[in-house]
Amino acid sequence: MSYADLATLARRAGAELAAGDSPAACPLALVAVKSTASLAVILACLAARRPLLLLSPELGEEALAALARRANVRAVLTVSDTWFERGPLLPAEAPEGLPDDTALILTTSGSTGLPKLVPVSGQAIDSFAQWAGAQFALDAGTRVLNYAPLNFDLCLLDIWATLRHGGCVVPVAADRAVDGTYLRRLLRDTEPQVIQAVPLLFRLLTEATDAEASEAPFESVRDLILTGDHTPQAVRARLPRAFPEARLHNIYGCTETNDSMLHTFMPEEAAEAGTLPLGRPLPGVAIRLLDGDREVPGAGTGELIVSTPFQATGYLADDRSPERFERHGDRAWYRTGDLVERDAAGQLRLLGRTDFQVKVRGVRVGLEEVERVLNAHEGVAEAAVIALPDDEASKVLHAFVRPVVGAGLTALRLRAHCAAHLSRLAIPSRFHLVDDPLPVGPTGKTDRRRLEEKLTTT
Amino acid sequence: MTSTLEREITRHIVDEYLPDTTAEELTADYDLIATGVVTSLQLLRLIGWLGDRYDIPFGDLEISPNDFRSVAVIANLVSRHQPAKSPEPDARPSPVHDMSGGS
Repeated sequence: MSYADLATLARRAGAELAAGDSPAACPLALVAVKSTASLAVILACLAARRPLLLLSPELGEEALAALARRANVRAVLTVSDTWFERGPLLPAEAPEGLPDDTALILTTSGSTGLPKLVPVSGQAIDSFAQWAGAQFALDAGTRVLNYAPLNFDLCLLDIWATLRHGGCVVPVAADRAVDGTYLRRLLRDTEPQVIQAVPLLFRLLTEATDAEASEAPFESVRDLILTGDHTPQAVRARLPRAFPEARLHNIYGCTETNDSMLHTFMPEEAAEAGTLPLGRPLPGVAIRLLDGDREVPGAGTGELIVSTPFQATGYLADDRSPERFERHGDRAWYRTGDLVERDAAGQLRLLGRTDFQVKVRGVRVGLEEVERVLNAHEGVAEAAVIALPDDEASKVLHAFVRPVVGAGLTALRLRAHCAAHLSRLAIPSRFHLVDDPLPVGPTGKTDRRRLEEKLTTT
Repeated sequence: MTSTLEREITRHIVDEYLPDTTAEELTADYDLIATGVVTSLQLLRLIGWLGDRYDIPFGDLEISPNDFRSVAVIANLVSRHQPAKSPEPDARPSPVHDMSGGS
């Protein structure tokens, strides 16, 4: 599709959206199915400076309605086969506290409770597109793969920065996002130069059968961006061979702040054990570490607090804002909930979510660290660790492990492996060896809640 | 004799502490302490069960977690401290060991 065609569609969408409606500051909502019509609607709203709430098509009807109410939307737009439909106009006013210049309203992807609404300003999107364009040399000749769903913050780079710089977006069909064969063929057919995605995509692309493993590498890719989660070492180690021409990057960010830190690494570092550093703050980004209420000035461990030029200053109509957003000096800051460690050289490493730190018999254990140790075992394809309440130990750790086929893995071998790398209390009490891939949520991260349900409902 | 003892202890440990493992997988030299199969609290229970099952007066003995490091080490400890007059354990009615359950 050409830019002229897209512009025509966006103008048509804009005219239809303005019809019979006073283009107030009142937001619209779009059920963001990945489609041309959705792109046209988003572009039309950006052009009209009309705030647009992007809702995940995965949301249940109730959650969708609740979010639309919370954002006081004027109408909900849904995509039909070829175009979109506007639901009934609602007698809504602009929601209280909606910042001027709000362009998109994104949602957080937390797996508990109603997602939070994150207003992103036009200014933030502009600044972000500028940074991304300069950092990844986006121009009219650049093809960028879009793996993330359309309502995700990652699309600011994949889609919106790419279009801003005249490039070409290569969308991955939402219903084939876990089909490794389709994904490999798409990459060969479209030859994107930039790929940003969660670890899941890279696992699917590189976890090939023997026949596929001998296929030629993906030589078109010149910038490969890992984001959203720790990429298991086994997956990282396969990247240099599969993407021999790519600069490798790890980006740290979240919906509330967008990208905050970038670490560009060498092929040798891709195979290193442990975790990648978070890297350097992007231009204009400031960071702090807080241990409780105490600032950690130098080396030490604490919660990462971030201030970026691309961030929201609060959730929309949500009393959870004060827990997360604060003003400090002349900037707005966001408490990420991520526990990081800063070494003497100033290098930052992510230890895990502060939520995923549990106490086992009084000792602090990071679930993600246990997962990393398990994932580092050569017989492990993937692993996840959850903590269940226990009367005696306060928490009991359960490991779910999918072994590599034919690895002859047993719970006892995994125990011995854990014992060699972890403190004794961090060794899971139970190992569940499974054949099927672990359940993943919409962000491609392991769905811990579904694993918990497996244990508590049986 | 020792191997019967080892088999019985292995079965007990697998039943009580390793629901994800079969008795055949657990070798006699597997380190139960370092790998967290038997935690400090569970060790107290294990000692209670061994004392009842084999008439070992653990209260009078100087013991450390090291003496329970593996099935082989435990079996060795038990065979050294079992009362001499005791009939072979298998001939005795098995005590109901509900005290080692989840109480």
